[in-house]
Amino acid sequence: MEDCPWDPEGVEVCLDPEGQLVDRRAAQGVDLRALYKRLVAARCLDLRVERLGLPMWVSCAGEEAVSVLTAMLAGQEDWIYPGVRDFALAPIRGLDLDDFARQILGIAADGERPYNGRPGALAAADLGIAYAPEPLGLHLPLAAGQAHAQKLAGNGRATIAIFGEGLTTTAFFHETVALASACDLPLVLVCKSQLWPEGAPAEAGLLGDSVAERVKACGLWSRRVDGADVVAVHAALDQALRRARDARGPGLVEVVVTQLHAGTTDADIPAHRDPIERLRRHLDREGQWTPTFQDVIEAEVRGQLERAFTHAHAKEMGR
Amino acid sequence: MSTLERLSTIVAELLRDDVRRVLVGEDVRQGGMLGLSRVAMRDPSLSSRVLATPLTPAASLAHATGLALAGRRPIVALASATALLEGYAALRELGRISATSAGERSAPVLIVAPTGPGFGLGGDGAASPDGVIAGVSGLRVAILGDAREAGAMLRAAANFEAGEDPTVLLLPRALLLREVEDGEIVETLGRPLCAARCVRDGAAATVFAWGAAVDVACAAAEQSGHDAAVYELGGLAPLDVEELVAAAAKTGKLVIAHAGGLSFGPGAELAALFADRAILHLDAPIVRVAGREGPLARADEMSGLPSVAALVDAIHQVVTY
Repeated sequence: MEDCPWDPEGVEVCLDPEGQLVDRRAAQGVDLRALYKRLVAARCLDLRVERLGLPMWVSCAGEEAVSVLTAMLAGQEDWIYPGVRDFALAPIRGLDLDDFARQILGIAADGERPYNGRPGALAAADLGIAYAPEPLGLHLPLAAGQAHAQKLAGNGRATIAIFGEGLTTTAFFHETVALASACDLPLVLVCKSQLWPEGAPAEAGLLGDSVAERVKACGLWSRRVDGADVVAVHAALDQALRRARDARGPGLVEVVVTQLHAGTTDADIPAHRDPIERLRRHLDREGQWTPTFQDVIEAEVRGQLERAFTHAHAKEMGR
Repeated sequence: MSTLERLSTIVAELLRDDVRRVLVGEDVRQGGMLGLSRVAMRDPSLSSRVLATPLTPAASLAHATGLALAGRRPIVALASATALLEGYAALRELGRISATSAGERSAPVLIVAPTGPGFGLGGDGAASPDGVIAGVSGLRVAILGDAREAGAMLRAAANFEAGEDPTVLLLPRALLLREVEDGEIVETLGRPLCAARCVRDGAAATVFAWGAAVDVACAAAEQSGHDAAVYELGGLAPLDVEELVAAAAKTGKLVIAHAGGLSFGPGAELAALFADRAILHLDAPIVRVAGREGPLARADEMSGLPSVAALVDAIHQVVTY
């Protein structure tokens, strides 16, 4: 395989750029076709939400492996503290799409527009999804507290917090690592690290290119995986969650993602950096993908979303 | 028994009464900065709920919030009220938890923190950030004004009788060191947390005070030779508006006394309240008497409280206006 500046170095490859399953064992028991459907649905959600023109909104296309796999791997009684762009996990956890659309638009069930945190934020306490607070990184210590309560209860549950690497310079991040490590909390930190093919600018705060390495020095178990390789992400998240639930301590999974729609250099991004395209190549190889299959998934999700947003807008107007 | 020892006994009692409660702080496993966890740590059935955390000024309050959201009742023991300023972002978030969940989730966190001068620390250890803390919406902020009530107030705050709003209980350092005879102890507060009360009756003027300024106000009322009333606020958020306005209307001559600097202090909020609600009853301009603006040198930290002399002058000024 030739070197590509868009691929992270030093990560174990399970699903290679051509969609070949290098590590078959890692994919054992994973329904890749079902996973594919959810990834495509997440991409449809992202495109739909992008069209709303929410203030300060950035597309999360390319990062779907994190939200989708977190939602699928978290147990019903585990808690998730997502960032503001990880909303795709909510419908997978069981959030009704009407409720989803309303929350994204900041409309309550009665049509009122209450304070709802940052634009695009959503929460569902009954589904174990916490809201994303406005102060950057504050959800990390909140999640640590939740995990601390789980540890005290000794119930074998874990808490997951998702964030971008930009937050790893904040006091909240460092203090949460200290808390989780000192108190041995069942906390899984999932860090989405952006990939910088020309090297990260100093202000990106990567401080040495790998968040996983940094927290290892703090005594935390960690793994670094490629966000375009959903099988590897699945394996690392699964392992981190199992460790947390078995009281083997906190962990951090660094997922290196390529933001497909965020930059101005979209055209340069090789297709295999897209986790969906990579898994599609795999399914295609296995004879499990057809254009019709694709069309059906997309049409179904789009239809459901249109209905949900139409209902939400009607609530807004009818107020 | 000193006030701090008594509080330590009550903390242990609180942990015993409700298994959801946990005591959180940096050094609580070693007794805590104020010794608040000393008694609990001697009881093996309680010590597992005494949670020591690393020094995490920004994260500690959010960590406690997470514990509360998960059904725990954290009591956070801070070394100083100014630690709340180091964790201000998390304090603000704690105040708005209820709003972000449309009232569905609450975070009954109790934060106990010493405030103002009294330990000879100066600087942050003598600062009175009461107003800054009370300005955070969604918090209940109570402040001890009578050393004899320290235990009763801690119990009332920990019981969240008036609702599950996150609560800050400020303990003026000057009161914590005061010796109180066993016979003088007030066991139950006998009024809601943050309710105002009349400490000294009088018809010529009314002094409003809270925290360590209450005793100063009483001494000044006594020395002034005027028939001045003294009201203790009991808390800054929420203000006991009706009681305070009624007290203001009664004499129409008002003095406000508090620790910490004058500018943008809670005294301004009170003066605005009286101007708004009792202007037709006022017979003199409202006079505020506060401590010196910080930072305060160690040797000079008691100047962070209003002086008796300045308060005597203020009472005389409004009575003879």
